[in-house]
Amino acid sequence: MRSHFIIMCLFSVLVGAFFGTLTRDAVKDAVKAGALLALTMVGVSLVIAYVMFLLPLGG
Amino acid sequence: MESRGRVALACVLAWALPGAGHFYLGKRTKGILFLAIVLTTFLAGLGLQGRVYLANAEQPLSYLATFANVALGPLDLVGRQITYARILYRFPSEMEPGLYQEIQDRNRERILAETHEYGTTFVLTAGLMNILLILDVFDFGIGRKS
Repeated sequence: MRSHFIIMCLFSVLVGAFFGTLTRDAVKDAVKAGALLALTMVGVSLVIAYVMFLLPLGG
Repeated sequence: MESRGRVALACVLAWALPGAGHFYLGKRTKGILFLAIVLTTFLAGLGLQGRVYLANAEQPLSYLATFANVALGPLDLVGRQITYARILYRFPSEMEPGLYQEIQDRNRERILAETHEYGTTFVLTAGLMNILLILDVFDFGIGRKS
């Protein structure tokens, strides 16, 4: 697997699932919290990536 | 609230196998889910050419990383065997030239992989997850969390 985006999504899903399960007891609440966390991680990462794209990084 | 012995055993089980502490305290579904999540994270990390850390006096932060790896219990031994082909916790000194060179070569082989940083992050995260699981089991055990 070489796609950085897919690796990031996999990481976000695993971390989301972990914290959803850890912090919520009801299945529905856990899925909701986990999905929200995973989507937030992916979304924030994309925003940061686009902001960094505008920065002069030398070279 | 559980007895002290049961809490201690639950924490040891949680360290030995992710989710086992929850399973032991009756949270069976959570225990199985935690095992699946932590195991997937750890194995994905190794599959992405991640590595477990060795304590190195020249890099003090490596102690923290090694601690996070060791928090995975016996799974960490699997990681060490796969990464270094031996159970090793301390980075060898240059006084042991054969071992030093072998470990450097094995590290280099993984570091050159495109997904190495991701893989190492996955492996470290699996260890950190397990630390949180041990603390969660402790909280359940002493009745701080219902």
